[in-house]
Amino acid sequence: MKKGEAWASPFLSESDFLSCSMSADQFLQYLLAGLSQGSVYALVGLGFTIIYAVTRIINFAQGEFVMLGGMLSFTLGVSAGLPLAVAAILSIVITAIIGAIMYLLAIRTAKRASVISLIIITIGASIFIRGIAGTKEMWGVDAVRPLPFTGSESIGILGAYIQPQVLWVIGAAVLVTVLLQLFLTRTVVGKALKACAVNPQAAVLVGINIKTMALIAFILAAALGGIGGVVMAPWTMMSYHSGFMIGLKGFVAASIGGFKSPIATVIGGILIGVVENMVVGINYGPFTSQYMDVWGLVVLLAILLIRSGRLASEEA
Amino acid sequence: MLARLISKWPYLIMAVLLIVLILLPFDWFPGKYTTLMIFIGISTMVTVGLCLLMGYTGQVSLGQAAFFGCGAYISGVFSKYYSVNPWLAMLIAAAVTGVFAYVIGYPILRLRGNYLALATLAIGVIVWIILRNEGPGGPDGFSGIPALSIGGFAFDTSFKRYFLVWGFCLATLFISQNIVRSRSGRALRAIHGSEAAAESIGINVAQFKVKIFVLSAVYASLAGSLFAHHLRHISPQTFDAMASVKLVVMAVIGGLASVWGAIFGAGTTRLLSDEILVRYHVLSGWDIPIYGLILVLVMIFMPQGLFVALRSASYWLRYNWRELPSITKGIYERKVLRLRSGGVQS
Amino acid sequence: MSGTILETRGLTKAFGGLVALNDVDISVEAGKITAIIGPNGAGKTTFFNTIAGAYRPTSGDIIFNGETMKRTPWYAKAIPPRLRQKIFAERLQQYIPAHRRTTLGIARTFQNVLLFGSMTALENIMAGQHPRSRYGFFSAALKLPRARREEERISLNAMKYLNMVGLGTYAGQNALSLPLGQQKLLAIARALATEPQLLLLDEPGAGLNTLEKRELSELIHRIKELGTSIILVEHDMPLVMGIAEWIIVLDSGRKIAEGTASQIQKDERVIAAYLGEETD
Repeated sequence: MKKGEAWASPFLSESDFLSCSMSADQFLQYLLAGLSQGSVYALVGLGFTIIYAVTRIINFAQGEFVMLGGMLSFTLGVSAGLPLAVAAILSIVITAIIGAIMYLLAIRTAKRASVISLIIITIGASIFIRGIAGTKEMWGVDAVRPLPFTGSESIGILGAYIQPQVLWVIGAAVLVTVLLQLFLTRTVVGKALKACAVNPQAAVLVGINIKTMALIAFILAAALGGIGGVVMAPWTMMSYHSGFMIGLKGFVAASIGGFKSPIATVIGGILIGVVENMVVGINYGPFTSQYMDVWGLVVLLAILLIRSGRLASEEA
Repeated sequence: MLARLISKWPYLIMAVLLIVLILLPFDWFPGKYTTLMIFIGISTMVTVGLCLLMGYTGQVSLGQAAFFGCGAYISGVFSKYYSVNPWLAMLIAAAVTGVFAYVIGYPILRLRGNYLALATLAIGVIVWIILRNEGPGGPDGFSGIPALSIGGFAFDTSFKRYFLVWGFCLATLFISQNIVRSRSGRALRAIHGSEAAAESIGINVAQFKVKIFVLSAVYASLAGSLFAHHLRHISPQTFDAMASVKLVVMAVIGGLASVWGAIFGAGTTRLLSDEILVRYHVLSGWDIPIYGLILVLVMIFMPQGLFVALRSASYWLRYNWRELPSITKGIYERKVLRLRSGGVQS
Repeated sequence: MSGTILETRGLTKAFGGLVALNDVDISVEAGKITAIIGPNGAGKTTFFNTIAGAYRPTSGDIIFNGETMKRTPWYAKAIPPRLRQKIFAERLQQYIPAHRRTTLGIARTFQNVLLFGSMTALENIMAGQHPRSRYGFFSAALKLPRARREEERISLNAMKYLNMVGLGTYAGQNALSLPLGQQKLLAIARALATEPQLLLLDEPGAGLNTLEKRELSELIHRIKELGTSIILVEHDMPLVMGIAEWIIVLDSGRKIAEGTASQIQKDERVIAAYLGEETD
């Protein structure tokens, strides 16, 4: 976040809440904002989880899919003037295709690369995507805001005033999570994905094509990211580098879920979102908006260390 | 006799490069490259540490720029605001950064692969945010950092600083080379080969990992201090996550397990970003995606680094250069035949 | 050399619900070749790993050369022993880590060899001299005379061990370029380079042909003559019966019998445990 760039606050006015106490409706406001932000992190986290579960790769480019979803929906919806639903769906589809291309060109060609290599490859891919988005030929350095789904007039809920887009984000996340669960448990493809996650070698023996599953995993993850971007951008705006931080927070969510449980991932994402926004609301000491991002990362570190501590106690 | 001389070609090349290195700041070569070379020297110092860390113990660090920033900020603040002798400030910065790396090292280095990368990334971002908010001047940074000097002789021109930086840089490279060839270097390579086996021959793996981590942090800190005293102005933008990634690019291109490759890696990367793209305005704005592309391509096709790949290619060339014409002819015939007969192999 | 070099008391190792070692009491005589046998899944490798320090015992004690492998962490030393025992129950009991045990004199080889791939054969052995040499980063970085002297000593010693296993001519070759049989010998030489009092060999005969197994037996005898105690885990019965002076039989995590080769061959429990299982 560079000085001078617009950072759209999720709240109506940022300067009101300077003391460290919060009234009830302020609390509700921050809570809803947190739930909404957290939903996006949850979606990103689910994307991480799916790819990791199926391929054991951590896809550093996950956040960029969110960015692409938002940027594309702006270009299609505002610049090109397409109707909202069309723009949204098209953005998601294009993002998914980009995810597929990334897998085919970067990951599959790497064949049996080491962990470091794969990490660096996905980092390289994320830089590439981010860089292209930032060139003057694409979107440049400005932040963009696609049209909100149901208008931008704030609505009042129990005394808190929020933009309606906030509810769209939460709703989309809930819907997507439910659909994802159904997909994974009820459809053949979904079950095949889970099989790969549990035991890749056995999956091969039962006739599942791992490479195809990996491709599907990437497409799914990209689509999830894209959806997150499409619903989030009208609310918080999006620019070419937004993907990085979102990706990082999404990773925290995924690690809370242990990279296997979708429900824990979603809870984790929401937790991070709420913690972040509460920090902004408290606005006291180290808990200010300037340090907002830090707290999510601290949670990440705490989780990683606790997990490794439990593993380490097996040895002397 | 001539054959004997040519067979020792690595030393010849090193001698030539050394001569070039010494003559460069005198501007005998067209174009003024002194400043660029200073930055390459500074980057090389950090890259060597990263190469040791990543190449020998297999620990990925995506937060190295944080140590660099710590060195720069601590050195800058102490020498400017507390009027501490810049050399002492540099030492203090190195000590503080080293202790910091030691403290976070033990818990962090228990993590493997992906998780370690993310943890170092997180720490890098946290340090960057803290420096950006709490450092003097905030996001804009501050200037007025004094230059280094010995007695009355101040390193106040690029020319003098060039030799200072490269003195440090070469010293770092020699020290690293010595470490690699020693018992500790064997221990590092053992850890890289198999941690379990390394433990079984009495190597305290956890402690070694932390030691190398601290060493790489100290290298980065010294480089950061030199950077601060050269530029005499620092801003937090220079130490963001992207900077850490660029350092990883340099290490990767140079070859993770090679000490001297670090110069190569740092050199080519800097050349690319600072000179070609910025000075000559070639595809300006596209430097970031090109980084990404290079990173991906190098890791896919030359995971051992550009340096090693080029060396293998040069060996191959040396032995097979006589057959080159016939090899080219063979490839040409195969490809042309394929096209002419409509894709069916004859 | 006489006396007990290794003792375990009530050694138990559980992985969650699976109890791999169950209350195992063993006493190994110094200077002898002891073998541990048992059907698959008996817990032999787990036993090795626990003694070597790769696994932490769930409970029980390991006593090497009269010293226990239990230890109190630095932050608990101030608390008086009785209270300490109450707070730091079995679950939190710390044991001396693997690398420290190697310095104390326990060396081991691995079932899957685990040589260092980026080093030559000689360098692998030189790495094995790590616990017996003493110069650190500082001396190395500045190429102090101490470092140079140590390096000389290390390479001479390493060459000695390499020659002992008959691989002297392969000193400069990459370790992984050797055939499996020789890789296993190299691994043994590497373990010997740590100058151990007790050498643990994990399935040294696996994957070797008859000739190589004979050479292995001779090597093990030579090692014993140096004064090193040896414990080996093996599946190959002829090999074991040929060299072992004392055999301990494990089954399902418990010790079911021990004795000389002829005693074990006639022991009913042992026969029952194997149920006529053919080895080799």
